[in-house]
Amino acid sequence: MGSQKRIAKELAELVESPPEGILVKLADESNLYTWHIYMDGPEGSPYYNGKFLLNLTLPTEYPFKPPTVSFKTKIYHPNVTNDDKGSMCLGMLRADEWKPSSRIQAVLQFARQLLAEPMPDDAVEGRIAEQYKNDRKRYEEVAKEWTRKYAVDS
Amino acid sequence: MSLTDIPWNHFDPINHFSTGQDSTSGLYPQHPHSSAFFGHGFAHLSNTLYHPSNSIYFNMNTLSTAEMERFQKLSNEFQADVQGPAVSAKQPSSAIAMEYANADPAFATKTSALAITHPLTRTMRGDGNCGWRAVAFGYFENLFNLQNSLQVHHELNRIRSLNVLLDQTGQQEHLYEIFVDATEDVFNQISQAIQSGIRDDSFLVNAFNSEYNADAILTHFRLLTSAWMKLNPHRYQAFLSMPIEQYCAARIDTVRTEIDEVGLQALVDGVIEDSGFAVEIMYLDRSEGEAVTPHVLTPARPIAGTICLLYRPGHYDLLYPAEPTVNMEPVVNYQYAMTSDYSPWDQQGALAFDMNSSLMTIPNLMMDPTFGMAPSPMPAAPPSPYRVSPPQEVYQSPVHASPPPMSIASPPPPPLRMSAPPPPMSSLPPRSTDGPQIRLNPLVMKPNLSHSLPVTTPFKNSPYNQAHFQNQDFEPIHWEPSDSRR
Repeated sequence: MGSQKRIAKELAELVESPPEGILVKLADESNLYTWHIYMDGPEGSPYYNGKFLLNLTLPTEYPFKPPTVSFKTKIYHPNVTNDDKGSMCLGMLRADEWKPSSRIQAVLQFARQLLAEPMPDDAVEGRIAEQYKNDRKRYEEVAKEWTRKYAVDS
Repeated sequence: MSLTDIPWNHFDPINHFSTGQDSTSGLYPQHPHSSAFFGHGFAHLSNTLYHPSNSIYFNMNTLSTAEMERFQKLSNEFQADVQGPAVSAKQPSSAIAMEYANADPAFATKTSALAITHPLTRTMRGDGNCGWRAVAFGYFENLFNLQNSLQVHHELNRIRSLNVLLDQTGQQEHLYEIFVDATEDVFNQISQAIQSGIRDDSFLVNAFNSEYNADAILTHFRLLTSAWMKLNPHRYQAFLSMPIEQYCAARIDTVRTEIDEVGLQALVDGVIEDSGFAVEIMYLDRSEGEAVTPHVLTPARPIAGTICLLYRPGHYDLLYPAEPTVNMEPVVNYQYAMTSDYSPWDQQGALAFDMNSSLMTIPNLMMDPTFGMAPSPMPAAPPSPYRVSPPQEVYQSPVHASPPPMSIASPPPPPLRMSAPPPPMSSLPPRSTDGPQIRLNPLVMKPNLSHSLPVTTPFKNSPYNQAHFQNQDFEPIHWEPSDSRR
């Protein structure tokens, strides 16, 4: 099937030459459609030193439908839902904006870039977005605290 | 958008066809630019906001930002309830005319004329890919119809060579190869079908109705178009409101974004044109004229086939013109020969032929492919009792037509046509582009005939005819006893 061929090649590329701060593994070796992503918090961001686990799920219609990305590690961020789903809102992952020629690597790099530079105008957590815009110091404190609490191995 | 939802209610049965008959010379009025009466994508909205029965006209300016955002969100998430196959089987275009029977007279007139000039159609599912799908399917269908394995091979290599465009624009092979694979698979299916003598094109219809495969093929065509545009920006940038890269990302590289005029032109220029197939669009809108407005996207030259699109605001389908085809030809000759005393078309004899009630009541006579091909029920012809007309007055047979079994009186077909069908490509006669591609009955084309005939013969048995009981203006003829006594 086409989707498996393409997914296998994208996975091989990511495992062979992983982008900075991103490690990819299949959640289950027998299933190409669910990936575990280990993402290092980017330097200079309140998430630095944190190690975040993300789930990436690929639809069987991939690449004609976009993958979905969610944070399994709790994170304080305007673009990630503050619930147990940890859904991430990425413009490029919306069905009407998704391009079959995009690759998963670009999605993951975009997600990591979002940790360094949140997009408050495209937020899912309005309150955090407000705080990010108006009280950056407090936002960074909370984000750092959550990172320490949830994303750093003790 | 469902076209039956169009709320035009200016039904005017009297004007429907009387004007349609004047269309001889102006059958294809050359409008430089068709004016689609709704901008793409606004049709749905406009239906809601400007529905005639809606007394409230929204003023978009008075909506608050929050409301606008809510509408935007609804609009983004809107998934049209699209049904039916991605590509349908061929259907009579008269169904389109029926759809518009109660619509604006401009539509009714044009669709009725269309059913004559282009009797068959294929509908494309309106899921945002209809334009892409119509062109891609039409391309493969025309290729299959050529029945030339060499040409299929040639096209496969040509399309494959276009991968260079993808590489040049930074696409990576391991990302696009599954799209190319899906396209190549269709080429191989066409080759196999030709080699095994399959004439039925349902395998093509199936290929385009298998969602994953069809998405891959269409994505391939989209990516080629996108790459072509980026490599030839001077041809398109002036027509775009944004930089070409941005346009391609938003309109071409996506999965379900409908094709627009610029994208269609680029698809034709970059992918289709070198195949030798022409692409023609029939615009069905409310512009002046009694027929759909044609527009050829490819430069005029001898062509191997035509992908004919029907464009209605926001939607593309495929059309098939009433060209003389292999099977119809003998039927026509046969009918022609049935008239016992025919004179040139334009005179009384033609009327006798056209109004031959016994022939006209045979259902589907004109369409039945088996009719002319079957052994004739008539005995082998004795010396012809019929006047033989000079060949140019007889319908011209297409060169590729197989010889009709002419057992009844008629001029013997030229011996050349009795030989095996010639190779498909080279012998197609160049088609003239300056007139209708079909042989219209001069009676139908004759202006002002409506004064003497209520309708054209093709509608004789339809509700469009005022003499038909289902016609809105139908009035039975009353027999008055007093009349007969006078």
